[in-house]
Amino acid sequence: MLADIEKYLYREVRLLDERRFEEWTDLYTEDGYYWVPAYPNQDDPYKAVSIFFDDREVMRTRLSRLDHPNVHAQKPASRTVHVVSNIEIDENHNVDGEVLVHSTLQMMEYRLDNQTSYGGRAQHLLLKTNDGFMLKWKRVDLINCDSSFGPLAVPF
Amino acid sequence: MTAYNNSALRELVQPDRVHRDFYINPEVFDMEMERIFGRIWLFVGHASQVPNNGDYITTTVARQPVIMSRDRKGEVHVMFNRCTHRGSQVCLEQSGNTQRFECPYHAWVFNTDGRFAGAPYPKGYEDGFLAKEKLDLVKLPRMEIYRGFVFVSLSTDVPDIDVFLGPMKDHIDAFCDRSPEGEVEACAGVFRYRYSGNWKLQMENQTDVYHIMFTHVSTTDEDGKQFRREGAEEDEAGKVKVLAQDSRLDDQWEEHPLGGHRHGHVYMGRFAMDKKNSGPIYDRYKASMEDAYGDKAEDLMTVKTHNSIFYPHWSIQHLTQHIRVMNPISVDCTENIIIPLKLKGAPEEMWHAALRSNNNSHSPSGMVMSDDMEVWVRCHEGLKTQSTDWVVLARGMNENFTGDNTGSYESHGTSESGARNQQVAWVDYMCGEG
Repeated sequence: MLADIEKYLYREVRLLDERRFEEWTDLYTEDGYYWVPAYPNQDDPYKAVSIFFDDREVMRTRLSRLDHPNVHAQKPASRTVHVVSNIEIDENHNVDGEVLVHSTLQMMEYRLDNQTSYGGRAQHLLLKTNDGFMLKWKRVDLINCDSSFGPLAVPF
Repeated sequence: MTAYNNSALRELVQPDRVHRDFYINPEVFDMEMERIFGRIWLFVGHASQVPNNGDYITTTVARQPVIMSRDRKGEVHVMFNRCTHRGSQVCLEQSGNTQRFECPYHAWVFNTDGRFAGAPYPKGYEDGFLAKEKLDLVKLPRMEIYRGFVFVSLSTDVPDIDVFLGPMKDHIDAFCDRSPEGEVEACAGVFRYRYSGNWKLQMENQTDVYHIMFTHVSTTDEDGKQFRREGAEEDEAGKVKVLAQDSRLDDQWEEHPLGGHRHGHVYMGRFAMDKKNSGPIYDRYKASMEDAYGDKAEDLMTVKTHNSIFYPHWSIQHLTQHIRVMNPISVDCTENIIIPLKLKGAPEEMWHAALRSNNNSHSPSGMVMSDDMEVWVRCHEGLKTQSTDWVVLARGMNENFTGDNTGSYESHGTSESGARNQQVAWVDYMCGEG
């Protein structure tokens, strides 16, 4: 099981690094979402601002924009590498057909002579399917979530 | 001795162009901090960011760290974040609640109203010294609060806030009066982000209709989708819409209303693509507005301006529902603080839609702001070249203005009148005639 989950999470972030955004969006269930809170210890995305809080519709819009020929903030595009580690299955999450996974996540981003690193804790709620998993949600709590950022484009 | 006497400063700003030093010269920047930011009303925050007694936030005003707090009696204070003993900042948390501020260096303590509350080992001072010396945290020289908007100045010698705001006060009213309770609330935190460019590049950009269809082409052309600014309206499934159906742009922009007033304040009219809402949530909102304001409700609910840009460094974005503060950090670095505002008493779904709209368009990952920031950085870099000294801002010079950019005026569409009006104010302040 852990090996399958590792494989799934590695592929998930590889799709981002390879800018295969449509395939990444398709990992999510129809009601799935991707959330990066702008403050630590959040329990509700409607109580405070979020760096990302995307349902599939917003995700698709955001990421298809990155393929637009004149998306200036990504001309030239960022190169990223994600590192997933310290993967743990949450043993207290006892919902049939679901697996809650905790991990640590780092992303290095390079663009225009600048290299930036981001890091934090990730959670994935996976739904078991016949041929693997679907992503119900992914949440990333950056250690610098409430700092002053430069512009961001690629999901963590 | 500065190279910039008044006549040199005036030379930088011509009627239809400005010299690149206006944006990139560090000496000019230092003079701006003293002569513009040091002499007029600046925006610090909204009083609802410190709703309870003992609440505080820390921020900066013209590069100087400050604390905005609410004391135990409920009064709001803005004071410099600097211990009166040896100079240390007394608080580094972005926000919180406290009984007192304690300096980390020698544990001098101050009440939440700034009053000095004691120093350890007091016998080390001459008798009466601590009582006699002025040791309270130093307040900013002036502070005024208008409908929760907290203003300060770094000089006591500033005009009355009403005179400074002039007709722009109506823009604050228009925003607050969209709430059935007549109040807005900053209850969702803030976004902060920085770009490597001069603060004025953004101030001018906010009045610039001309760039929208090019800088933001990835969200405005046929395949692009702009985000709905005003919530809320449901789709067939009952879900609140966050995307606009048709954000394509056309010649409507040439007719777009713009305007401004004395002291560099400017505004943009409402965008034609921001359609009016309808549906059950909006009906509930309308009912609550009618209960509160009767016949005036319809007019108060109708948002007429896209943004209101208050010189020198902040704006209200009416439909996106945020205050944007542009804090200059250095000549080539600016920090934005985005403060989303809830219309108190309006349906919760509308607030949720506004919050999502802010996440989508004005967070550090925002699809609108990220392209803007890219352009400001490229401008700042480009202006470092010796290719030509001048930035051309001649659009709309042929337009028949009502007014002349030195008082209230109206203009249209893609005119660069807004930037020119800000620059008129810049010259006045820099030359001591503000």
